[in-house]
Amino acid sequence: MKGLILAAGKGEGLSPYSEKIQKETIRVVGKPVIEYVIDGLTSVGVTEFTIVVNEKEEQVLQAVKDLNVRVETVRQKSPGISGAIQDGMEYMDDMFVLAFGDIIAPRDFYRELITTYHRSGSPVFSTVPVSTGLDTYGLVKVDEGLRVVREGSTLALAGAYVIPKKPFRDFLQYLDEVARDADYFVWTGTWVDIGYPEDLIQAVEELLKSESSRISNKASIASTAVIGKSVIIEDGAVVEDFAIIKGPAYIGRNAYIGSFSLVRDFSSIEEGAVVGAYAEIAHSLLGPYSVTGSKSYITHSVVGDRTKVGASVITASYPATTKRQVSGKFGALISPDENIPHGVVIGPSYRK
Amino acid sequence: MCGIIGVVSIGAKDAALAKITLDALKSLEYRGYDSVGMASMDSSHLEVRKAAGNVEKFERIKSPLSMKGNIFLGHTRWATHGEPNDINAHPHLDCTGEIAVIHNGTVLNFLELKQDLIAKGHKFVSDTDTEVIAHLIEHYRKLGMDNFSAFKQAIYSIQGDHAVLAIIKGDNRIFFSKKNNPLIIGLGDDMNLISSDVWSLVRVTNRTITVGDDELGYITATSVYAEKITGEKVNLASRLIIQQIDGSATSLQGYESFMMKEIRESWGAVRDTIVSLMSDMENMGKAVKAMDKARRIFVVAAGTSYHAGLIFASRLMRIGKTVIPVIASEHDNVKTGEDDAVLVISQSGETMDSLLAMKSYKSNGSFVISLTNTLGNSISYHSDVALHTRAGPEIGVAATKTFTSQVGALLLISSLMLGESLDYLKEAESTVSNSFSKSIGYAEKIGVEVAKKHSLYYLGKGLGVPMAMEGALKIKEIAYIHAEAYPAGESKHGPIALVEKDFPVIFVNTGEHVDELRNNLKEMQSRKARVYVISAGSELRSDQEITEIMVDINDKRLAPLALAPPLQLIAYYAAKERGFNPDRPRNLAKTVTVR
Repeated sequence: MKGLILAAGKGEGLSPYSEKIQKETIRVVGKPVIEYVIDGLTSVGVTEFTIVVNEKEEQVLQAVKDLNVRVETVRQKSPGISGAIQDGMEYMDDMFVLAFGDIIAPRDFYRELITTYHRSGSPVFSTVPVSTGLDTYGLVKVDEGLRVVREGSTLALAGAYVIPKKPFRDFLQYLDEVARDADYFVWTGTWVDIGYPEDLIQAVEELLKSESSRISNKASIASTAVIGKSVIIEDGAVVEDFAIIKGPAYIGRNAYIGSFSLVRDFSSIEEGAVVGAYAEIAHSLLGPYSVTGSKSYITHSVVGDRTKVGASVITASYPATTKRQVSGKFGALISPDENIPHGVVIGPSYRK
Repeated sequence: MCGIIGVVSIGAKDAALAKITLDALKSLEYRGYDSVGMASMDSSHLEVRKAAGNVEKFERIKSPLSMKGNIFLGHTRWATHGEPNDINAHPHLDCTGEIAVIHNGTVLNFLELKQDLIAKGHKFVSDTDTEVIAHLIEHYRKLGMDNFSAFKQAIYSIQGDHAVLAIIKGDNRIFFSKKNNPLIIGLGDDMNLISSDVWSLVRVTNRTITVGDDELGYITATSVYAEKITGEKVNLASRLIIQQIDGSATSLQGYESFMMKEIRESWGAVRDTIVSLMSDMENMGKAVKAMDKARRIFVVAAGTSYHAGLIFASRLMRIGKTVIPVIASEHDNVKTGEDDAVLVISQSGETMDSLLAMKSYKSNGSFVISLTNTLGNSISYHSDVALHTRAGPEIGVAATKTFTSQVGALLLISSLMLGESLDYLKEAESTVSNSFSKSIGYAEKIGVEVAKKHSLYYLGKGLGVPMAMEGALKIKEIAYIHAEAYPAGESKHGPIALVEKDFPVIFVNTGEHVDELRNNLKEMQSRKARVYVISAGSELRSDQEITEIMVDINDKRLAPLALAPPLQLIAYYAAKERGFNPDRPRNLAKTVTVR
């Protein structure tokens, strides 16, 4: 069975970051978001993929190039999510798997999708229970048969489907049509829909929560460094004297953690990123090859690829902001290749 | 629900193929376990062996590994038409013994088809609906049709959801048809298989194709063919999936948990229960008449069934009937008489306490009515009238869909006794299903929050009291959180002493006495309790800070059906959050067959 993956959205919730980087290619705990989707679907037997892309096609191809799967890309021509699906559907068979490329969920999520399909032989919707931000999702209502609705349910569509190939105008309307004969499953494990910076921060947390420690032999860790629980350190990473990786944390390939720095509470330091001496990082995602200067305090923040954060930069994460009706801390979202000068206080809810 | 498997091979045969079939049946047993059968066939003979009981018993007494052939069928049954015995077990044969059929589903029009076939001279041996399919194929073959056409014609004649497999002597094909019940093809080496689930196939092959609804066709050892019921050919090859399955997942057949699966089956169970009881007016009439004229009605049950019984009792006591709920293990405290009726409620029909209670009351000369979820169980055997819920097999130890279908059955029975119109029960199914999708998100939130607590209260009024008791029982059973249910008004006569800051209190609001319930809620709030509300029909909300699950109902009597899913889901998510397997609570068994 073939799989269709969407990676052509504008990602407005992550603006201006997403103007430079297609959100499906953002690296979270060592992998681009879209790789979680492809890995999940590959693990349940989907072998051929068509990815709908926009002008950032090259970034998507780059993100999936090392995966051992057959991938072709299609440029989106028709507008909106409905258009993207229709543009890609041409390359699908009668029944196919449709997956949103911006969902982080474990393999079991996709396994349930396929096993539900096996049981029913009919179209399948993945769903998750939600209690806030209900108006931001398409919802599944169980009546005599399923309905896809805008209100009156707390079971949200979860971005993975087995559906038949048929022309349609509006995707949710089409799902409602398909719903009458469809089956569904209720997912209760890790599931993050990457729409806002808070989602990236939450994804790091969800991914690290279930991990046990894994320290590469090829990492260079000073004898005076302290490594706590649930810490992953990849090949070539350097942790200098007196640094504390309190964890849960991810230190990517060739990343560098300077002396006396503290990396704690669900932080992901991606490949080649540098954290200077005496810095503190918490609840944050530092993109590949970014540099965070000495004595900085970065919390509840996302730092883009190759971005340079100066020394003594402080991100303030409260008062909290509200997204999907949930109030949460959010410091800064700093786009790739940006510079933050030395010694400034930014946030809360800072975007550059 | 039943499990079906078919295997056709040009390599392996006899014992090797029998083994594959038997192993598949073992993994299909969760779909039904009251009788088992296999058919084997080669070019010269067709043999059937079958028996009441589970797969292990079948293997012991019928030695299926000595069966010969290159085509095998296997079936594990959950009885719906005809009690579980050797004759009603599948496969079923036609008059000539050349056609064998296994079936997961229901032939809704089987009585009329059966009469028609009997008039044409066909001889039936079982009470099942399935047997008509074999005779129909025979009938159409006699009319000169080729085997596949005769099979198709038989399928066109039957109504109802099904997955059917059929074999015909001298034909190296297994014919199949699917409508709303699962069917998956497995492609092996020199061998193809077709089964109710993928887990029974993966020992043999990881290449599978899922059959769609309203599709029928056949498999041989080397080919597969299917067409739509409209005749249009189906491209099965494009649906090929290479399964990557590890052993750990197979124990659950791909369900995250049976409890969630069974909660999701509860509205169908309620519908099937009500439809089935309404079509069994003879027994229903007897039961209602006996309870109507009885001086007193004793409702005897244990655990969840007892809570369903309380709802029934309350409805009748309100209009002045004398109904006395009895906890089965305490039956010695109550003496019934000849002019009393006894209603025994038990999911399995094998609950020892309930069985002993009914035997004792029967010996007093009381008229005994049973409500159970299986056919041919001890309690229904010993009762004067046996009524059944149609929830299908329930694997999760905590009762979910069987409770909801008991409530549906008891609403129906009490309405008949009260002389009420039954129209409101048309909404029973959608009441439960809408409640599920409306409440699940909030139930998860509440479940996750109360998972951190050691103790909580469930408070209700009227029929909210037994629902509160059921909610408290569920969270004790599977999440191991101490919970106590109380009539809300009674809470201030003692229990409220325990309430302190952030003590969780769940109000169960059936829409009766809403103002009083709101006062009780304020009492809890003023002691800084963490209050949650589950409401059916009318809101209780007194301020914005409270999480209130509000489920709509079109008739107040449906409130217990609407409240069941959120109460079950709160317990489910609390158990999940605490890292417990909701299907297998410690220290508990599904059926309690000891005193």
